[in-house]
Amino acid sequence: MIRPDEVKMSAEETGKWGMVIDQDICTGCQACVAACAMENNISFVGEVDAGYGRSMHWIRIERFWEGEYPEVKMTSNQPMLCQQCGHANCEPVCPAFATVHSQAEQLNLQIYNRCVGTRYCANNCPYQVRSFNWRDYARPEPLSNQLNPDVTVRRRGVMEKCTFCIQRIHKAQDKAKSEGREVMDGEFTTACAQACPANAIVFGRVDDPESLVSQLARRSHGVKHLEELGTLPNVTYFKGG
Amino acid sequence: MIKRLLDWLKQPLGLIAVGIGFLALFSIAAYGLYLTQQPPAQPIQFPHKTHVAFGIQCLYCHPGASKGPAAGIPAPAKCWGCHQQIAKTQTSVLLAPLKDAVLSGTPIQWVPVAQVPDFVQFNHRAHIAAGKNCEDCHGDMTQVTIAQNPQVFNMGWCLNCHIQNAGEDQAKLVKLTDCGTCHY
Amino acid sequence: MSQQFSRRDFLKLAGVGAATTAILTGCGPASRYVKREPYMQMPEYNYNGQSTYYATTCRECAAGCGLIVRTMQGRALKTEGNANNPLNLGKTCARGQATLQGLYNPNRVQGPIKHGRGERLYDTFSNPYNDDIKNAPSNMSWDEATQAVADALKNNKPDEIAFLMGMAPDHLFDLVTDLANATGINAPVRFGALPMFEARATLTKAAGNLFGEARLPFFDVGGAQVVLSFGANFLETWISPVSYTRGFAGLREAQSKQRGKFIQLEARMSSTAAKADEWIPLRPGTEALVALAIGRLASELKGGPMPRAFASVDPLDAASRSGVKLATLQYIAGFFAGANGALAIPGGSALGQSNGLTVAEAVLALNAVADNFGKPGGVYFSPFAPNQTTYQSPASAKEMQDFIQKMADGKFKVLFVHGVNPVFELPASLGFKEALKGVGQVISFAIFPDETATESDYVFPDHHGLESWWYQRVATGSNQPVLSGAQPVVSPYYDTRATVDVLIAAAQLAGGAFATALPFKDEVEFLQSKIAPLMAETDGLFSAPEINTFMAYFQQYGGWWKASDGRGVPGTADVLSRNLDAAEAEFAGEGEFFLFPFVSPALAEAGANKPWLQELPDSTTTVMWNSWVETARELGLEDDDVVKIVSDAGELEVPVYRYPAIRPDTIAIPFGQGHTAYGRYAEKRGANPADLLIPHFNEAGDLAFAGVKVKIEKTGRKQPLSRLESIMGVYGVGLGEEQ
Repeated sequence: MIRPDEVKMSAEETGKWGMVIDQDICTGCQACVAACAMENNISFVGEVDAGYGRSMHWIRIERFWEGEYPEVKMTSNQPMLCQQCGHANCEPVCPAFATVHSQAEQLNLQIYNRCVGTRYCANNCPYQVRSFNWRDYARPEPLSNQLNPDVTVRRRGVMEKCTFCIQRIHKAQDKAKSEGREVMDGEFTTACAQACPANAIVFGRVDDPESLVSQLARRSHGVKHLEELGTLPNVTYFKGG
Repeated sequence: MIKRLLDWLKQPLGLIAVGIGFLALFSIAAYGLYLTQQPPAQPIQFPHKTHVAFGIQCLYCHPGASKGPAAGIPAPAKCWGCHQQIAKTQTSVLLAPLKDAVLSGTPIQWVPVAQVPDFVQFNHRAHIAAGKNCEDCHGDMTQVTIAQNPQVFNMGWCLNCHIQNAGEDQAKLVKLTDCGTCHY
Repeated sequence: MSQQFSRRDFLKLAGVGAATTAILTGCGPASRYVKREPYMQMPEYNYNGQSTYYATTCRECAAGCGLIVRTMQGRALKTEGNANNPLNLGKTCARGQATLQGLYNPNRVQGPIKHGRGERLYDTFSNPYNDDIKNAPSNMSWDEATQAVADALKNNKPDEIAFLMGMAPDHLFDLVTDLANATGINAPVRFGALPMFEARATLTKAAGNLFGEARLPFFDVGGAQVVLSFGANFLETWISPVSYTRGFAGLREAQSKQRGKFIQLEARMSSTAAKADEWIPLRPGTEALVALAIGRLASELKGGPMPRAFASVDPLDAASRSGVKLATLQYIAGFFAGANGALAIPGGSALGQSNGLTVAEAVLALNAVADNFGKPGGVYFSPFAPNQTTYQSPASAKEMQDFIQKMADGKFKVLFVHGVNPVFELPASLGFKEALKGVGQVISFAIFPDETATESDYVFPDHHGLESWWYQRVATGSNQPVLSGAQPVVSPYYDTRATVDVLIAAAQLAGGAFATALPFKDEVEFLQSKIAPLMAETDGLFSAPEINTFMAYFQQYGGWWKASDGRGVPGTADVLSRNLDAAEAEFAGEGEFFLFPFVSPALAEAGANKPWLQELPDSTTTVMWNSWVETARELGLEDDDVVKIVSDAGELEVPVYRYPAIRPDTIAIPFGQGHTAYGRYAEKRGANPADLLIPHFNEAGDLAFAGVKVKIEKTGRKQPLSRLESIMGVYGVGLGEEQ
């Protein structure tokens, strides 16, 4: 286990893409979950497999209860997704190097064609945000018409997780490059942030101090989950209340 | 029964049978490999070399290559733009499928030969912008009738070129050899 | 050797042979290559491999949010919010995101069908995920279908023809209204389960009584400092949830003022109440009392003469009857009176009571104490949509009861149904399904094989909303008057036809007054005739000298809206001078529990056939793919116990979810499941709480859906609910036990 004080933040480990999630205004409406599923060709698993905890949500909204009736409170909705750790626990345990760190984009990648399905990474993820294709889940025709051609359709035996909509990152970079400029802040965003009716999710470059997400992340009440494990997560949360 | 079979195999006749068996297996495997290298059957025996010889640019029919990920297959309407003025189109047996398609309004089902697996996200635009020419990957189209795949698109081949292209530029090398550049 | 070559060996050899063949075929070109079909005629604005984006409008509910749909090669790939549309400003809810799973749903009506009433429109199945489930094939041509509609119009007297329609689309409603005005057929009746569970008729009637104008109020949550909500689940499905969610975000993270406070009063903690700073579980039926008591206490704090509206209530009595401590009432009143910008919202379960109208008036009157009418953070009238001068109210449940009575009495020879599924959405006890027997001919325009289409004689499927031309007037949610416009983003996937086109063609065939009433070539011409008057407006988003250019802009921007604030200011002269009766609501039925039906935020009335909406965890219980009954933890029931819930109107069986935040005398069931048709993902799943509801109305004619008492019986069976939380651990359930 790496202790936080042992972790030296190199320039590379500060991350490139990041997110700020305001739990105070997240209403738990699940629009982000649906948007993510539609964008990323995520399979639905059906009632029985969902009951076994095999549902494939790349982002889920956690909530916990505090107290007893009538003084009961629901904690602020907590959208939980891959934190794109700078020092990710999933990466060193993959025997197939399918879970690798992107040096170019500073993301945790999941390379589907390398994955052999050991599920070590999911075991090791402290955020429990990885989901495994236990079956080839049916997608009866013509449902497959809406599949996003920019995202690989995963099959049985492959691990998957949030990619920070890397296809959108690439598309924006490609467009910017073809126009001979840099990607602008707010030019594109992830599917979840785009859908969120409360604007609770903000996505952008955390290595650009001028970007909206960096400015928000500097607010004093931002926290990062399980930071004490030394994972260097790139998602900042504002707790509610 | 197995023991009797083994005894029988140790005889000269048996050894010959084993030899024939190995040969048969080998030829079946070779035939299988041969099959993988065959271009697929196409609805039209499209002569790329004839079209190139007329001076038609690749991007005239495949304009998507300079714009985005897919080069695209032209719509029959595009073919018809020239072909309806060519007398041979009405008589040629080889061109009958095109005529039928245009007149009946049913699309032509082409079989693309240059393809990458669906876990590879390939973008034509970036490659054209980097100065690659079509023939660098797709071969010399002045030589072929039906498009053939001169190059096995495997990852080593992609990476060789990527590394070469990056040269001494470390940032570019990181980008061009990053898994997430092609796989997501 | 041949006699030693046994049958078993032969099978082994044959197996090897088959495997070899399989491997060799697997190497062949046929298996390695796919076929690609280019466009026959590629639209000139398309590029291969590039997406084309179209602006249109969402038809999952009637709010009218603008969408941008990403399409590629003629397929719709993703829906996004239209950032230009002032209603939703680029945002969508989960249902809007999943609309493509309706467009490409494996169970759609694929063409015009004539069938016997009650005959299934798709195969029976055992496994909804893997079975090959065939849809009923079309068995007639569209010419025959149009002729059938024409005959139905022509061969019946005008007052024997009735249209029952959903809350969307508006252009079809306008067409049928025009037809009704010109030919004397019955004016179209609109109904929806969402307005029923919002008690929208009660809210507008209360506004009419207090402000002199029966219009839909708009509550400026974003500008308020303290929000007091009586049962209004405005972060879930209430009237315009995307817009109200934006308002809520404004309340919380206001830049110029401190974080706003939000208090919700209702018997069960909804996911809206879960976001409140305080959740006050009051006894169902005492909402009026509590509102008046808060009004009285707040008025006392403000000083001055006591308004007549609050004079009759005794706060101490209200506290004891509602189960809310007097100190709590004083605390709320203190907040409400002290805040600069307090807002009280009546809605949902608070109004679905026998005295719902009084509740609505009492809560609206609280706003008079805060004096917030027409001020930022206060109560406005929602702007009328462009070209609209009066509020169009959907039918209340009482009006539906009258409609059903007419059906049963044989007053209607032909009934057209579009955009609504009354067999499922209306309480079974109102008897819609039985009353259909009194109607000679039922023609459904449903796109999905729902319960009402199953009970029809003909199904003439309309296009899906994303394949259609239409517009929707935005009823509330934006400061500006908005007309959201829609255009087809993909060509129709099946042999469906626009209902407007069918009606226009049928009217021409029927001749006479019908033909002159609809003198249009097609749907687009009709649509243009309706939006043409907007060209004369000066303060619009765009203008154009002639209709084709105007229509092109209309498609490009996804509608037309005014630049100016169109909200009205309620007339407040007589708000506090009315006598409000501080009585408790009356409950129908026998039993020890108050029934609290609520609309499932993800599924609502028509989402159950979209598999990803089914797989979205409910935001408070995290249950997926099923319905449940929420009971208090004290009742001695265990999770997943199947219980029978009995009301005077019916009974149903449903598994228990022990909910930590519900009154012990109340049980809650989500509305949205319990379909007996509607496709593979909806059918045979959960229970419909509308089966328990009793025809019991409030003074405004809305159903007193929260005014029913029920009994619980144990069945001794268990049915595990699929819950997301079981993998995360909560309250000692699942993984949490070990920690």
